[in-house]
Amino acid sequence: MTSQISSDDNPSEESKSETPILGLSPILCGIETEYGFSIEGRGAEDQIDDAIQFVRSYAQPHFSGWNYAYESPRADLRGFKLDTLATDPVDAEFDAGKNHGQVHDIRSDKVLPNGARFYNDHGHPEYATPECWQLAELALHDKAGEIVLRRAAFELETQIEKPVTVYKNNTDFHGASYGTHENYLVPRNFGFQQIYDAVLPVLIARQVLTGAGKVGSEKGPGAIYQISARSDFFVEAANAETLFRRPIFNTRDECHADPQKWIRLHVISGDANMIPSCTSRKVGLVKLALHLLMLGRCPKWKIENPVQAFQDISRDESNKYRINLSSQNWTNAYELLESYFAEFDQCDDLHDSPAGGELCQLVSESRTLLKDLSGGSPNAAKHIDWLAKRKMLETYMEDSGTDWNDPSLQAFDLEYHNIDPDAGLHFALAQMGEIENYPPQDQCLDRLIQPHERNRAWARSIALSKFPDKIENVCWRTISIRNSQEEVVQIELAPDREYPLQLEDASNVENYIQWVNQ
Amino acid sequence: MIQFDDDRLTRPSAPDLDRKVQDSGPSRPDVRKPDSGNELLKRMKKVDPNQAKKYRQRSGQ
Repeated sequence: MTSQISSDDNPSEESKSETPILGLSPILCGIETEYGFSIEGRGAEDQIDDAIQFVRSYAQPHFSGWNYAYESPRADLRGFKLDTLATDPVDAEFDAGKNHGQVHDIRSDKVLPNGARFYNDHGHPEYATPECWQLAELALHDKAGEIVLRRAAFELETQIEKPVTVYKNNTDFHGASYGTHENYLVPRNFGFQQIYDAVLPVLIARQVLTGAGKVGSEKGPGAIYQISARSDFFVEAANAETLFRRPIFNTRDECHADPQKWIRLHVISGDANMIPSCTSRKVGLVKLALHLLMLGRCPKWKIENPVQAFQDISRDESNKYRINLSSQNWTNAYELLESYFAEFDQCDDLHDSPAGGELCQLVSESRTLLKDLSGGSPNAAKHIDWLAKRKMLETYMEDSGTDWNDPSLQAFDLEYHNIDPDAGLHFALAQMGEIENYPPQDQCLDRLIQPHERNRAWARSIALSKFPDKIENVCWRTISIRNSQEEVVQIELAPDREYPLQLEDASNVENYIQWVNQ
Repeated sequence: MIQFDDDRLTRPSAPDLDRKVQDSGPSRPDVRKPDSGNELLKRMKKVDPNQAKKYRQRSGQ
């Protein structure tokens, strides 16, 4: 027997009396990263089989049993549902005549003790962080994901007796891209057009502060070096696709929460960042736009051709970052971002809200970096991946007497993203003090045990650690768990509340269910 | 249910694993230049210059 309990069925008196002001509550966020990997003697045509083995090789504690019931990748925020999603024709050739098995076998989902999800997504091992309220927490969980991937890679190497190299990047330099997606929980009070208008300008401009950098181009006009690793792959301003015909603004409406109340903004246009502060900034700038939208304070920009603007900025070697507007006027990435910062300066309520501290820090640091960027200060290379990577390449060229025509530069670009700390070029920079504000490794390891914020990821983590044998399945939204009468109870974990600390003391499933609904 | 790899629990850990896990990322930026020279350039000289040419992936999301 299955019954369903929602945390809204039994709200406490306290929660009944509180009506949070839109825009002042913390925004729940997560990052999902599809990693690239290479195994000697194996190719892209083998990648689904290899990714399945990769994920299954993870030998640390985990739970198997993902609930796919609430997944809806074809639903569109604009109010319709696609019949099918586009696929890459090259990948379709790889898959011709192959049957990899049932969905759950292919995906091989593992839910980790910290509430994260680790699985095979389209031939890439993917780590989806636990949901976080704070930017600093999210950046730590994103780094913890690298540890999970390294552990799985080590086990796989042992099994197959071949080296496995893992890359946290977004391209193979031959036209194939894979994503690092951000997720933001937004009240459904706001529709597609409002969110699009608020967020799209930031998605285009933020690359100057958050891009991962790329040697060369894979589509469109040639480039020596780009700011964004993903810009070549966007062909439309907005649509629901992710595998092919990718948009800057993704309209997938798959909220992983009560769809009557929530939208999950699914951002696919960002790069995989190696520098933790770059990860925080990437997410923070979108959070800032969402807070301002909800407070009715968002700057209004109408960009003439969003795809062109994104790609022009990515290729701009002049640091001017011009953006043409629909009004036949123009602006640039500096002014555009500053308009959001200036609105934040005027929002006293937002300054005083739970997110106020991290947003103040975000705005202050971003302003400093924009100033450094426009003035050519070397300081920005310690905080922004595309500049750190470019400086790394320039160091090599100076040492070896070569220039941007050196064909080995793309290999160095790739190896910047190698997650092995003994081989990866990003880690060499970090060890040399060329990256600032690197979090201690023990903080990342600690996030693999349990989230530090008492949100729904924490509640999920508690259930996984205390009652692993009682859990039937898990997803972002729910946990199905057997009570003492062996009834399966599906618990809905509300995404907008702090769960009681006493959950840690739950000695049985009944306690857990009771307290999780308090 | 939570699954453990029984084989992993009983066999001795590979000597390299602990190092890889524990050393997986700097504990904090080491502001000193390595005595043996520029660590970045040392690593760059070990990179296969054709690594990116050989690297092929499926499209993900």
